[in-house]
Amino acid sequence: MLEATGVAAGYGRKRIVHGVDLAVGKGEIVLVLGHNGAGKTTLMRTLFGLLPAAEGTIRYEGRDIAGRRPAENVADGIAFIPQGHGIFRTLSVRDNLDLGAFVEPDKSLLPERLDTVFRMFPILKERASQIGGTLSGGQQQMLAIGMALMHAPRLVILDEPSIGLAPNLVDKVMEAIAYINRTMGTTILMVEQNVKYSLPIASRVAVLKTGRKIYDGPPDPLHDRVELMKLF
Amino acid sequence: MDLVLQLLVNGVINGSHYALLGIGFGIIFGPTRITHFAYGPIFAVGAYGCWASVAWLGLPVPAAALAGVLAAAGVGALSYLWLYRPFERRGSSHLVVLIASLGLFITLENLIGIVFGTDTKVVPGLSPDIFLWGPVVVTSIQLWQVAALAGIALALFAFLRRSRHGKALMAMTDNGEMAQIIGIDTVRVSLTAFAVGSAVAAVPAILILLKEGATPHMGFIAVFMAFVAVIVGGIGSFRGAIIGGYAVGIVENIGMWKLPTEWQSTIAFVVLFLILLFKPSGLFGRRVR
Ligand SMILES: Nc1ncnc2c1ncn2[C@@H]1O[C@H](COP(=O)(O)OP(=O)(O)OP(=O)(O)O)[C@@H](O)[C@H]1O
Ligand SMILES: [Mg+2]
Repeated sequence: MLEATGVAAGYGRKRIVHGVDLAVGKGEIVLVLGHNGAGKTTLMRTLFGLLPAAEGTIRYEGRDIAGRRPAENVADGIAFIPQGHGIFRTLSVRDNLDLGAFVEPDKSLLPERLDTVFRMFPILKERASQIGGTLSGGQQQMLAIGMALMHAPRLVILDEPSIGLAPNLVDKVMEAIAYINRTMGTTILMVEQNVKYSLPIASRVAVLKTGRKIYDGPPDPLHDRVELMKLF
Repeated sequence: MDLVLQLLVNGVINGSHYALLGIGFGIIFGPTRITHFAYGPIFAVGAYGCWASVAWLGLPVPAAALAGVLAAAGVGALSYLWLYRPFERRGSSHLVVLIASLGLFITLENLIGIVFGTDTKVVPGLSPDIFLWGPVVVTSIQLWQVAALAGIALALFAFLRRSRHGKALMAMTDNGEMAQIIGIDTVRVSLTAFAVGSAVAAVPAILILLKEGATPHMGFIAVFMAFVAVIVGGIGSFRGAIIGGYAVGIVENIGMWKLPTEWQSTIAFVVLFLILLFKPSGLFGRRVR
């Protein structure tokens, strides 16, 4: 589905990601781990087109997408949920969800999608007219996921969806991601530090260290704490 | 008492003018976060576009006004495409963009002076009606200033709430990166903002032309007052820019009750200063990230 080879990226002249290969198969949940500052966010932003790739190729469903603008990638079925506040803080929940479908040309599909989002996160329906920035952290993350679903993406890239959430909420968010993957067949590429909750739903794991990939394989060996620690 | 009433009415009239300036400036600043000082001379382009269409092409005033609005919108859009966009692409700092904007301010102002001369241009054969309402005197142009604000504010409100471009503009004002993430073409939104904001600025400029004439330097006080209205009202708030404009207009005119007229623009500055000191987010400001 997504195939990156030799991707290098950074800010200005400073290289952060050095020649990373990353493949995400259709229907997979691929987890990206790595220490703080390893370049996980930089890599995700590059794959999505928010940052230019200095080197390497990025293919999505067989098409070369390196150098495409985010707007084109969104229209082509990729959603990105950034680290932190992936919502419009001054707009209402409902406006946020509507904006999530900004690129959808067929607006007649939206009521049904809105329904799906509200069924998955009933709290968003209750709070539909509340201003996004006044939601709790967990609710904001649900809203961010809901916005992404509003344009029915085939690939969702998430950057640390559990950051700053209480453990029981982390569990809920991971459950929602697994549910989306299972029931909608959406492919997931996710950065997540909280291995306790994210490893169980992952089909494959890549580990980054100072901008290079040092592990790529099944999640099972990483359940062992010692193995995991070795990689960091 | 009669004097205070007249000053209050003048305050509302000037307030409408400032509010319009603020809306135009804010619609550009909100999504782009560009401190667009060249908004001043582009305001003047609106007035001179109208004047030239009357004096050189012989168009009737309403058609000439439309020409002025289009001229300002065009120059505004080009200033984004040719000046700000290249800096944006390079990821230049706010300071660099600010200096570029000042450069454009000076260039445009001089250009206007070279093309039109530095004397005051008035639209010939225009005599506004004067109305006496009890002790209060107003002119038809002053009424137009108030009506223009009301009409434009309503139209823009509908544009921002209903149209696709308007919603994209609101989204980008909230968070530019998120706007990109949901697939909004932020370059197009910025271009729209520059065109619409400049068109809005042309309207008060044309009314000033009709009221007291145009000079190449007329843009300076315009961008200053626009800036004050936006800061006082709160960055990123449409309602704030309007209320900020009225607040400054009314305070300024009521100030005339006890102070000589030379103090008028100083009052605006004092209001700005106090707001920056005690309520930096403005009266209606949304906290900036
Ligand atoms: N906008 C930026 N400009 C310059 N350097 C940056 C920028 N953003 C990130 N960096 C640097 O790039 C490096 C990698 O950052 P990145 O955000 O990709 O790491 P990360 O793996 O996502 O970390 P975390 O787990 O803390 O989110 C860091 O050293 C950081 O300081
Ligand atoms: Mg990160």
